[in-house]
Amino acid sequence: MNYIVLIKQVPDIRNIPPDAWDWEKGTLRRGMLDTVCNELDRQALAFAAALRREQDGRVVVLTMGPPFATEVLRYALSICADGAVLLTDRKLGGADTPATAYPLSQSIRKIEREMFGGDRNYLIITGMQSVDGDTAQVPPQVAEELGIAHIAYATGFHHADGALQVTRITRHGKEVLSPDAYPALITVTGWTEPPFASFGRTAWAFDQEIVTWNAEDVAADPARIGLTGSRTTVNRIFSPKDVSTKDCEYLTDMGRLAERIGQLYSARLSSQATAADAGEEYRLPEDKAPTFRGEVWVYAEADEGGLHPAAFELLGRAVSLAGSLNEKVGAVLLGAGVRPLAADLIAHGADKVYLAEHERLGHFSAIPYTETIGELIGAHRPQILLFAATPLGRELAPRVAYRTNSGLTADCTALDLIDLKRAGKEYTGILRQTRPALGGNIMASIITQNADIQMSTARPGVLQALPRDDSRRGEVIEHTPASPEGRSGLRLVSFEPVQATAQLSDAGVIVTGGGGLRTKENYDAYIRPLAAAMGRFLGVESMVGASRAAVERGMIDRGHQVGQTGQTVKPRVYVAVGVSGAVQHLTGMQSSDIVVAVNKDPKAPIFNVADLGVVGNLEESIPQLTEALRAGEVSR
Amino acid sequence: MTAVNRVDVLIVGAGPAGLSTAIRLQQRLNAAGRPERVAVIDKAEKVGQHILSGLVFEPEALDALIPDWKERRDPFVTKALGSEVRRDDTVFLTKTRAIRLPGWVMPPYLRHRGDLVLSGSEMVRWLAAEAESLGVRVYPGFAATEVLYGDSGVTGVRLGDKGRDREGHPQVNFVPGEAIEARVTVFAEGSLGQLAEDVVRKMGLDRGRIHQIQSLGVKEVVKLPADHAFGTNRVVHTLGFPLTDVFGGGTLYSMDKNTVAVALVLALDWKYADLNPQQELQVFKSHPYVGRMLEGGEVIAYGAKTLPEGGYFALPQPYTGGALIVGDDAGFTDVRKLKGWHNAMRSGMLAADAILEAIERDDFSAEALKRYEELLASSPVIADLRRGRNYRQMFTKGRTVYLGAPLSLVSRFVPGRIKTEPDYRGMKRVHLKRDYRGGYDRLSDVAVSGTIHREEEPSHISISDPDGCASCFREYGVHPCAYFCPADVYRFEDGELVLNPSNCVHCQTCRHKCPHQVIQWRVPEGGGGPKYKVL
Repeated sequence: MNYIVLIKQVPDIRNIPPDAWDWEKGTLRRGMLDTVCNELDRQALAFAAALRREQDGRVVVLTMGPPFATEVLRYALSICADGAVLLTDRKLGGADTPATAYPLSQSIRKIEREMFGGDRNYLIITGMQSVDGDTAQVPPQVAEELGIAHIAYATGFHHADGALQVTRITRHGKEVLSPDAYPALITVTGWTEPPFASFGRTAWAFDQEIVTWNAEDVAADPARIGLTGSRTTVNRIFSPKDVSTKDCEYLTDMGRLAERIGQLYSARLSSQATAADAGEEYRLPEDKAPTFRGEVWVYAEADEGGLHPAAFELLGRAVSLAGSLNEKVGAVLLGAGVRPLAADLIAHGADKVYLAEHERLGHFSAIPYTETIGELIGAHRPQILLFAATPLGRELAPRVAYRTNSGLTADCTALDLIDLKRAGKEYTGILRQTRPALGGNIMASIITQNADIQMSTARPGVLQALPRDDSRRGEVIEHTPASPEGRSGLRLVSFEPVQATAQLSDAGVIVTGGGGLRTKENYDAYIRPLAAAMGRFLGVESMVGASRAAVERGMIDRGHQVGQTGQTVKPRVYVAVGVSGAVQHLTGMQSSDIVVAVNKDPKAPIFNVADLGVVGNLEESIPQLTEALRAGEVSR
Repeated sequence: MTAVNRVDVLIVGAGPAGLSTAIRLQQRLNAAGRPERVAVIDKAEKVGQHILSGLVFEPEALDALIPDWKERRDPFVTKALGSEVRRDDTVFLTKTRAIRLPGWVMPPYLRHRGDLVLSGSEMVRWLAAEAESLGVRVYPGFAATEVLYGDSGVTGVRLGDKGRDREGHPQVNFVPGEAIEARVTVFAEGSLGQLAEDVVRKMGLDRGRIHQIQSLGVKEVVKLPADHAFGTNRVVHTLGFPLTDVFGGGTLYSMDKNTVAVALVLALDWKYADLNPQQELQVFKSHPYVGRMLEGGEVIAYGAKTLPEGGYFALPQPYTGGALIVGDDAGFTDVRKLKGWHNAMRSGMLAADAILEAIERDDFSAEALKRYEELLASSPVIADLRRGRNYRQMFTKGRTVYLGAPLSLVSRFVPGRIKTEPDYRGMKRVHLKRDYRGGYDRLSDVAVSGTIHREEEPSHISISDPDGCASCFREYGVHPCAYFCPADVYRFEDGELVLNPSNCVHCQTCRHKCPHQVIQWRVPEGGGGPKYKVL
């Protein structure tokens, strides 16, 4: 068995010098940042090394980048690779994900031919997403271009009866999959400690030759690479926050604080959902034809547990978009025995439900789902297709987009319609897709180009569902998958329902405890009940977080750490209890919508970024606030 | 059983001294058609990230190392050539006023016109690229933790482990530190280099010398609006405010892209138990004269580093069997000029010459490497240091620093060597009681130093005797380390020490200044530490 590891050189976002931002141009001077190997690709290298220990073969590492990307190839050689390929060419620059996946795939084909002698027994391994682009689109799109299966979010593997079995985590549990055919592609999430290089192997790596190819060497069609081959383009980059300090509203009464939190939360939601201050709701101009035609679709994720609530959120937005465009709303529903769910979709805004039921679609698998959705798109040609940026959505949407030559933008936090004049072209009624990038350090607004369909994935909790209305009418359109016996490329070995650990990044509310709590007992006694009450009060998923000081004092494990050396989060509501607000912490949470701070030090810097503040002892305020939220929940 | 790696010449530290050794040696090896390999290791993740310096640079050393450097068409050279000092002011600051000292009063070693103003980290990146283009291998991310000895003297170094957890247990990704054996090892770790200290101690290279003393420099780079008053091609050196009884002073240098490097250099023998050097820098910046020049500025970088000030009589014997010591690791900073870079480079070049001779003779014994000391003795390095002997020490003999100043003019005529106490004995129960207000707080400055360490790695700092901390408080009324660490590593909560080792910027002020000498600072896991870019 041979292995090809795809790696990427990315900017080191742990440390962005303040003068690297060019706010006038709205860009980041990437040249001012250090470069490193993408963190998850380091995990991929460790995965490949571990695989090879059990099944020997060659490990070839491949990257597409500028000439100095050799740096990460040398690193990969020092870890486990014994061959390295750099795909570099000015013509490849400016590419979005399909225009990256395609030349990478061409390179993989060339490696197969020339380095593996045509032997198709190999695995392609890569990190799930890169820290700068953050889309997780390229790996599934490489798989789609090569016509092979992919396993996303791999967290481990073992061999049984000579066959490789890969473990991955899904929304509802742990799956073990085995590739039916090779080559296959595996994307890896954090599964181990990132590997270190020994000095000896580092010295060896420096002496190795790096094979360099350009676009012509890999027979890349010029129409499918670079800016020309891109189906999306960045319209603008901007800061996620106002640079000015917020005006903090100080409160002493916890009942009033709970009320204010509720008010601010509702206000933020409604301003997002309708984009309506008077006159802001989009209207098609009378004299111009819209750039895109067709229905506005959403992909309704359904599984053993029923419909994912995000489907209703997507529908909420789709209804508004379709209304402005004078089009209908469609929901795509795949599965086996899911017909009853169509009524729920209609009650939440769908005019049509495109239903594809088949045994083959009973349990999610990327290839059959992609093929079926592709058929529906081919038959009905929508102009917009929204997916939820759930783990499933993030591995399905890229394959669907690639297959149908559509533009895809991942993890959008805002979707609205605009008219635009750009680079000599006019766009009317197009979707402006806004998303964070570079670890949340910048926001980008993106539009679709050179494609007929605009696709986006949106994070659960960002859009708002409409209230259920059973009086709504809609039709169910049945679709029979064209190749029901087709292979998925993967064999499901086992599935174990397991309560998946929620991610901090998915939480709508985060309550963080800082050093001011002093002990684990205090943390458990104050922070956890507050988080639970806050979540129920606002009707969103809530989680607990911690500053580094809290983690260092053993109050909770590092998986909950927010900050420069922890996670960057962007919840609707962020409550900081006993957190001083040193800049190292702020960088991890400053993009939160609503910040509530409780601290006994009136000069704590956390108040500079807070909307609501309480100066006082947390031993008194927190239980009172928790009570007030519980009372408020009851009365809502 | 850990792996053993062999190289011909190993250089520990990719700074100006180490890289000059590498460049000169590889130039001469290439010219002679010799196959020997030169390897440089550095504990920073990338070359240049642990380098901090003024830097007002006398270019003659670079002319000697790379004669055609001025003809290179690259951004660093263009920038360097355009950075010549055209305005040079020395200013005495009182609490509110600034008195410019006329040029004719300044001794020649304190005049800077014609020098180049550079960023040390940038220059080191440029030197590393030069070294690599010649065929030198530079390996950042590797920290050497131990010197290896054999019958012939130094045989190499051992690298630190990577991948231990907080408790010191090997994790899944554990890589044990390998030994690197070399025919000759060049120690170029910079100020307070621990491996060189070990060699000096074990091989008795400091017999008859006075001990080394250091100063600490804390430095910020401030980005100013385009129409700023400071101007380009300008250096300002200040004396007096904020500390008239600590040897040292302030500096302001124009750098490129409308930035100014502002720094405070303070001798580490200061007596104040509550002196916070990072905050003293803010006090310095608050002086009307300085504040005016930095108006509208934003701090974009911060760092701290020590420099050796013992001068001529503190130099150890810089060679032994299988080893040489170059640069600040040996203490070649000229403290009258407060410049060490050019001497670091020159010492590296001379080390390279001595090594080439040793290679040709296949003899790396102490007798053979003594050649290095001979070459130094007849070079400007030693000549300058001899002229400056006793200079710094003289400042400790006046009751205040400035009484010592005129004495320093005649310092070299003092027969014999003036001894001083080790820096850590300077601490007294005296408090500045400074009201630190305004400016940047320590943690914000630490954030722009870029310093980062793996969160789970073992702490590189330990206290050999916790009772020392309690008695420190009794003796001095405060915990001095909570003040003197430029990176806020040491905090006391309810009387207990809480360490934040991941803030560390590797200046080692702590182990040097701790009055009870109970702080043990070991080099952290390779790859961790500051990420200086323009310092």
